[in-house]
Amino acid sequence: MPEWKSEILRRLASLNLAPAREVEIADELAQHLEDRYQELLSRGETPESAERAALDELRGEDLLARSLRPVERSFYREPIAPGRATGNFFSDVLQDIRYAFRILCKTPVITAIALLSLALGVGANTAIFSLIDAVMLRMLPVQNPEQLALIKFRSPASAHLRQSATNPIWEQVRDHQDAFAGVFAWSPETFDLADGGEVNNIHGIYASGSYFTTLGVRLAAGRLMAASDDVRNCAGVAVLSYGFWQERYAGAQSAIGSAIRLNGHSFPIVGVAEGSFFGTEIGVPLDVAIPICAEGILDGKNSMLDDRSSWWLEMMGRLKTGMTVEQADARMKVISPQLFGAVVPQDWPAKYQDVFRKYTFAILHGDTGTGGIYGLRERYTRPLEILMFVVGLVLLIACANTASLLLARSAARQKEIAVRLSLGASRGRLIRQVLTESVVLSSAGAILGILVARWGSSLMVRFVSTQQSQVFLDLQMDGRVLGFTIGIAVLCGLLFGILPALRGTRVDAMSAMKEGQAQAAGGRSHSSAVRWIVGVQMALSLVLLIGTGLFISTFANLMALDAGFDPNNVLMIETNIHNAQIPDTARASLYGQMLAKLQAIPGVVSASQCWVTPLSGHQWDNSVTVPGHPLPAGVEPDTFLNWVTQGYFETMRTPLLEGRTFGARDSATSTPVVIVNQLLARRYFGSQSPIGEHLLVGSGGTLTFRMLRQPMEIIGVVQNSKYSSLNEDFMPEAYFPLSQIQQNVAENTAFEIRTAMTPGALIPALRDAMGSVNKLASLQFTTLKQEAGDTVAQEHLLAVLSGFFGGLALLLTAIGLYGVMAYVVTLRTHEIGIRLALGAQRSSILRLVMRDAAIVLVVGIAAGLLGSIWITRLVKGLLFGLTPNDPVTMGLAIAAMAMVALAATYIPAQRAIRADPMVALKYE
Amino acid sequence: MLILSLIEARPRHGYEISKLIEQRSGGAVRFHVASLYPLLYRLERRGWIQGRWVEKSGQRRRRYYRLTRHGRRVLAAQLRGWREFVAGIHRITEVKNA
Repeated sequence: MPEWKSEILRRLASLNLAPAREVEIADELAQHLEDRYQELLSRGETPESAERAALDELRGEDLLARSLRPVERSFYREPIAPGRATGNFFSDVLQDIRYAFRILCKTPVITAIALLSLALGVGANTAIFSLIDAVMLRMLPVQNPEQLALIKFRSPASAHLRQSATNPIWEQVRDHQDAFAGVFAWSPETFDLADGGEVNNIHGIYASGSYFTTLGVRLAAGRLMAASDDVRNCAGVAVLSYGFWQERYAGAQSAIGSAIRLNGHSFPIVGVAEGSFFGTEIGVPLDVAIPICAEGILDGKNSMLDDRSSWWLEMMGRLKTGMTVEQADARMKVISPQLFGAVVPQDWPAKYQDVFRKYTFAILHGDTGTGGIYGLRERYTRPLEILMFVVGLVLLIACANTASLLLARSAARQKEIAVRLSLGASRGRLIRQVLTESVVLSSAGAILGILVARWGSSLMVRFVSTQQSQVFLDLQMDGRVLGFTIGIAVLCGLLFGILPALRGTRVDAMSAMKEGQAQAAGGRSHSSAVRWIVGVQMALSLVLLIGTGLFISTFANLMALDAGFDPNNVLMIETNIHNAQIPDTARASLYGQMLAKLQAIPGVVSASQCWVTPLSGHQWDNSVTVPGHPLPAGVEPDTFLNWVTQGYFETMRTPLLEGRTFGARDSATSTPVVIVNQLLARRYFGSQSPIGEHLLVGSGGTLTFRMLRQPMEIIGVVQNSKYSSLNEDFMPEAYFPLSQIQQNVAENTAFEIRTAMTPGALIPALRDAMGSVNKLASLQFTTLKQEAGDTVAQEHLLAVLSGFFGGLALLLTAIGLYGVMAYVVTLRTHEIGIRLALGAQRSSILRLVMRDAAIVLVVGIAAGLLGSIWITRLVKGLLFGLTPNDPVTMGLAIAAMAMVALAATYIPAQRAIRADPMVALKYE
Repeated sequence: MLILSLIEARPRHGYEISKLIEQRSGGAVRFHVASLYPLLYRLERRGWIQGRWVEKSGQRRRRYYRLTRHGRRVLAAQLRGWREFVAGIHRITEVKNA
């Protein structure tokens, strides 16, 4: 019998196998050769030829060793096979992260698109959330803010809370309450730093002596206000906010003890509040606080300190330890009759005095948001919620986009994954690896997103700030915001990573390595998943687009609507002559001189004066009666009033519909006259002409202006115009001629100037003209256009931001669809090649590819429509001039979506039909 | 796939496997020792098959290979893939003939 073993061992020698293994292999192979040898002998072969044939099985000297080497190498070193478990969790994670960076850098375009969409998505979310955090979630930066409670009150007849109190009511509360450990009051006010000329307003408050101590505000320099600073006939002191101290005085200690000029009066600065304190109203900046008693200094004869009908103070209290809001409320209700009874307004009719006596206090939690301290919260909660929803959708779309990109890429990586699996990687480990990639991607996106957010949120604050109400928010990244960002980054990473991870690693190692067919087989299931994602993306973006359309149309409706005047090229000068100390009887002629000077300036088309600036938010209203023309039951007699000069309607370009406007003949001695708007005329006179009829304001008697105490003759009817805001309904309005009053003329007034050029260009000339009449008059310039815009700041914010996000969503969807279609077309290149080779028309191929996209599009649009019908109901209150299911908006949104989708499909489809059948078939 | 399917029903030793491949393919496919055993060892390392020395009375000691549970799954997947492949080829050639 031949010696097989030695033959075999000789051939195995070069492998340096472990002896036991070597013997084992030799045994087995020798057995095989022996079997072969025996078989050949039994067939009748000679022993020599049988041995030769058996040895022939070993195929030369070195084939066996060569084939066995990769399998049997004793120093077996793992080839690069990331994804193989090493049993060391931490080194695995590091390896994963390193590898993730390598993979991401290998596909820079996909990575860049994914990063960009994530950065915008995460950034937008963080920006909106930091606003929500600042406006809605954060408490006042004072000691134990949860102990603070708002002190409001209500009349027995009404469920509504009174927002503000009179000073006499506050003094009653201050001196007689026993429900709180401490109470304080304040009133926001702007103070002018300039002694005449153009105003230099800062944000201040009148604060009670107990304000800082009860809030528990700490000190940065000097001392804070004390109760002794807030007594009647005080000299006044000023406490600065830290920010103002830094900005105006560069934080100099010498500021303490120096004087600050407010509205022409000097106040000694006694101290500076700590840096984190920004007052009791979130979103309202605070520069300086002066005691309530100082109101007597600034307003002199018109002081509200003893006025029982001037409602200007907000009140708050700090609960006693262990006491609840309900207990404080009950206690305050008990003492209500005593407190209100002491300060009944004596000039009110007896009927209303009785109502006043029955007022009761209502104590509310500090964060209830019912006006007062969290006014901004009330105003912007809804828009912020909507924006949060919008950016949430954008983020989902960004995630879906990234998911489909990664999914497409994971299809391209099938072979790699297959190699790794066959090298011993476990699927779970590979899933972790792919997820790590996603999380690395989303973390990078989040870091970029934070940068986007920082810029975005301060931009938004600038957006909602208007000239009248500046918004000041502390937008520091606190733990909550940072946590939110990290949270959504990780969530996103998992969200868009999980599908590619699961799909991408479900690879049949053998077939994937056999190239072509695997691509087609695996690719098909991939592309259906991708189609799903794109469909969802389309639905989401359509919802966004429809929302965007609604908000943009709302804003456009507001801007395009006929406000009853032409806001273009009108400059307003808010004028206050308080510093000039001019007696009320001399004011009318001073204003007259100013108006004459203004009208003489070249470039001024016309100029006029009025008392209540349109759209400034100020209002003056009273009930109006017309003898002989009673109102139908249930219609409020409330009418908005204004004093204007004769050129007013010409300057505002409010058309006169009937009768005449004011003229030179309407003087203090002539018959009192009034011009009404269309709405008022129709309300009282229906289709009859009101000219020559008479109108009465209020109950007569107690009105300040003697002229208004008698019936006034209606001499004209003008078109309706907006009074305090663009998004309100038209109100009944009545205009009285300024020329008919000589007494009790106010210290503040407004001039309207229609200019022939850009209004801003005339400001220096106007300032000089006003100064030449009286240097001490304070002037504030705005344009009517600006004022109009400010009244719709909220709508503007929603329109611009949702427009931006809607566009972004559309762009992301287009990118996603393009990527997917390009990928699907690549997968089908063979098929298309074959079809073309078999004589298919290029147009039918185009149809084939487009049909694919069309199905996704139709399904996406249908889902999006359903979603938006369900969701847009919620924004009904924020729309103007259209319904939530506005068909035009929906149609346009669908058209935009379809166009973008088809464009994104067309390019890959074109490429598909240009495919050369030969090239395509060479793949096979 | 060929090897896996041959030991699906019962464990076989190397020589038997090579004989069966030769017979069933009508001599078209032949494995030599130098190629068969490295392949068997590789499959064994992957955990698809497992070899065990068996001594039957009156015979020499032989190494029998049987399919592991994992191997059984792999075989099923490979067969499926193969059938699809064949069906695909079939479809294509049919189209070409049409």
